[in-house]
Amino acid sequence: MSRTPTAVAQRRIQSELRDWLQHPPDGCRLVQYDDLHTWIIELQGPESPCQPQLYTGETFRLRILFSERYPLEPPEVTFVPPSPVHPHIYSNGHICLDILYDGHNGGWSPALTINKVALSLRSMLASNTDPRRPPGDADYCARMRGRSPKETR
Amino acid sequence: MSDYGDSDYEEMSMGGDEGGYSDDEGFAYSDQEEGVASPVAKSSKKTFIVLDSEELRERLKAAVVQVVDLLCISDAEATRALRFYKWDLTKLQEDWFTDPDAVRQKVGLLDEQPSTRRKEETCKICFESYPVADMASARCKHYYCKDCWSGYVQTAIDSGPSCLDLRCPDPECKAAVPRTVIMAVADAAHKKRYEEFAVRSFVDDQRQLSWCPAPDCQHAVVSLSDRLGVAQDIFCRCGNAFCFNCKEEAHRPVDCETVRKWMIKNSAESENLNWILANTKPCPKCTRPIEKNQGCMHMTCSQCRHEFCWLCQGPWAEHGERTGGFYNCNRFKKAVEKGEVDEQEQKRQHARQSLERYMHYWQRWAENDSSRKKALQQVDKFRGEQQEVLSERTATPTSQLKFIVDAWMQVVHCRRILKWTYATAYYTFEETSGATKEYRERMAQHQEFFEFNQGQAEHYLEKLHHKVEKDLSRFLKAKPQPGAEGDGAGGSGEAGPSGSGDAGPSGSRDQQAAWNTFREQLIGLTDVTRIHFEKLVNEFEKGLDEALKEYDAPMEDEDPGASAAAEAAAAAEAAAAAAAAAKGKAAAAPSRRVTRSSKRRQSSQDDPETTALEEETGFWQCRHCTYANDLGDKVCSVCEQPRDATGGR
Repeated sequence: MSRTPTAVAQRRIQSELRDWLQHPPDGCRLVQYDDLHTWIIELQGPESPCQPQLYTGETFRLRILFSERYPLEPPEVTFVPPSPVHPHIYSNGHICLDILYDGHNGGWSPALTINKVALSLRSMLASNTDPRRPPGDADYCARMRGRSPKETR
Repeated sequence: MSDYGDSDYEEMSMGGDEGGYSDDEGFAYSDQEEGVASPVAKSSKKTFIVLDSEELRERLKAAVVQVVDLLCISDAEATRALRFYKWDLTKLQEDWFTDPDAVRQKVGLLDEQPSTRRKEETCKICFESYPVADMASARCKHYYCKDCWSGYVQTAIDSGPSCLDLRCPDPECKAAVPRTVIMAVADAAHKKRYEEFAVRSFVDDQRQLSWCPAPDCQHAVVSLSDRLGVAQDIFCRCGNAFCFNCKEEAHRPVDCETVRKWMIKNSAESENLNWILANTKPCPKCTRPIEKNQGCMHMTCSQCRHEFCWLCQGPWAEHGERTGGFYNCNRFKKAVEKGEVDEQEQKRQHARQSLERYMHYWQRWAENDSSRKKALQQVDKFRGEQQEVLSERTATPTSQLKFIVDAWMQVVHCRRILKWTYATAYYTFEETSGATKEYRERMAQHQEFFEFNQGQAEHYLEKLHHKVEKDLSRFLKAKPQPGAEGDGAGGSGEAGPSGSGDAGPSGSRDQQAAWNTFREQLIGLTDVTRIHFEKLVNEFEKGLDEALKEYDAPMEDEDPGASAAAEAAAAAEAAAAAAAAAKGKAAAAPSRRVTRSSKRRQSSQDDPETTALEEETGFWQCRHCTYANDLGDKVCSVCEQPRDATGGR
């Protein structure tokens, strides 16, 4: 999956990186970007506006993989297990969020950035009140072993 | 001024081989030469139009042009708005003139481009800076460079028809990406795909348009019917006949629901019936197995020359009026009910009856279907090879052999109609327990009437099918030189011409005469059959109650002047007789026929006026009252007008 990004993608990732380092989003820290097309981001569990405080004080790690068609194709974004317990996040780290996918029901747009994706994920955690895995979590993880979440389509 | 991102842009990218929507054809589906490809209903007005891809594109353009003119918006905006409104011009127009801004918001037709711009903008996709002249927006404030647009648009096109609803890449922005931008940035292959999606949506989104469901067929059909949602037979240019409503094979006069029920029932039960109706039947006389390899029900055993009906296996002599019989194989006869049977036996009998009843109708449905398929193969065969041979043998140019194709197509069409009338009869005349006596009587009357019409139609179809299948083979086999007539249709278990007008192998002049007679008879029969089926279909669609009522009323004079009056009258006579039969004088019609035809055989010989058509049908039509008189009679038995006075042919 992680083929080398093309020159366009390279430039785009460079400028996103520059932007991120200058204005990192709240509660997010870029911990690894050595090879440019794989990023590891640390996400602070957000303070929830409502009870219970499900993720406060916890830290999660996100892995971002850029494909060579980035930003026309969405980046592959997954949590590094252990992933947060959330009805839209499988225990293998796959995330059910429309902006991470393109095609028919996908909400990805090349005008989105990793910065915005990280913010969306944090707000997704913040608004959750139901500490459960998605239905069929075990089945899904067994079936998807070692595969990209994009292959679910 | 830049080329991108302002109104000039639209003009620019519409240029060249894309061609603007500049056709002046109206959006309203106007007339075109087509729509009545049906062999039946030649006379009625068009009910549909078949369009090829070029014509379809023209219509799409015309639709857009109309909106451009009406709403004074650009081509690209009109296309988008129409697509959003599922090509419903009326609704779009209504909404637009109520609140144009609301429509613009809904569809995404924005006009937010800043009037003054910086010289350079940053592309929100690749984050590089470009001169504004090299950038574009979907008429909103979000600018992207040409390369990013191209990637964005082509990715969308690759992901399917949703590209027609493409919006500005900015997730917050609702601006619709206009067709013009797409045409300016996509490569040729993607442009082509985009246009294909557009045409597809044009057809798929409109209720009165539909694709021909035949595999690989590129034609679409516009239904001109004002009753959408009801079965409508369509005859595509590719040769496929389908129902506009349910997309199944054409099935007029039967409704879609009956077809659906019937097909489900068949798939459940036909397995059991298949073995009963295996491909062979023993000859009723010599019991040799016979394979039915032609479509006509009139069988002749190749061994003992016994002629019989494939359906009831009774002697054919009882089927044709020529031999004193009467065609009634279409009727389902209930087994004679016995007096004192115990309850168990009654139940068994009932179960057997209902299975037999279904078998009766299914068999006739299936046989007509396979006859239809064989006839279709015959048409191909005729067009492929036989046409040439026949042309040579009969010294007739192929252009004048179209009447044979017409006859075959009539057979194909009628077999299909006939087939479905059996499915519908199965449901219509089902035994309903608990019905009132009155209702039962009425239904019995309906059934009588329906079966009479069906029987008449089927009778002529059998004749036509026989003639075009068996009699024709004689001319195909005949050598240009006399004395070498073939010995029947070879290769099959049943064979041999058994019809009228034997063409003796005695000289080419005789052969020519026989050919001319054949031709005249076939054309006549095709017409008569067509009229009978038209009648069957029309009366069924009108409702049997209505049809019966009409025959109750005194007969009015037929409208004069029609060239096909004779044939029309033949059908009218049949229907009148049917009505009479349905009124409880059931026995009268068949018996009258028997006497009439036997009388005819004695007298027709000395009547030189008899035309080939009359010879074929067995009666002459009174021009005054349309009654079908015996060929022997000189005066009409009903209105007493002399035969000559009613107008010769």
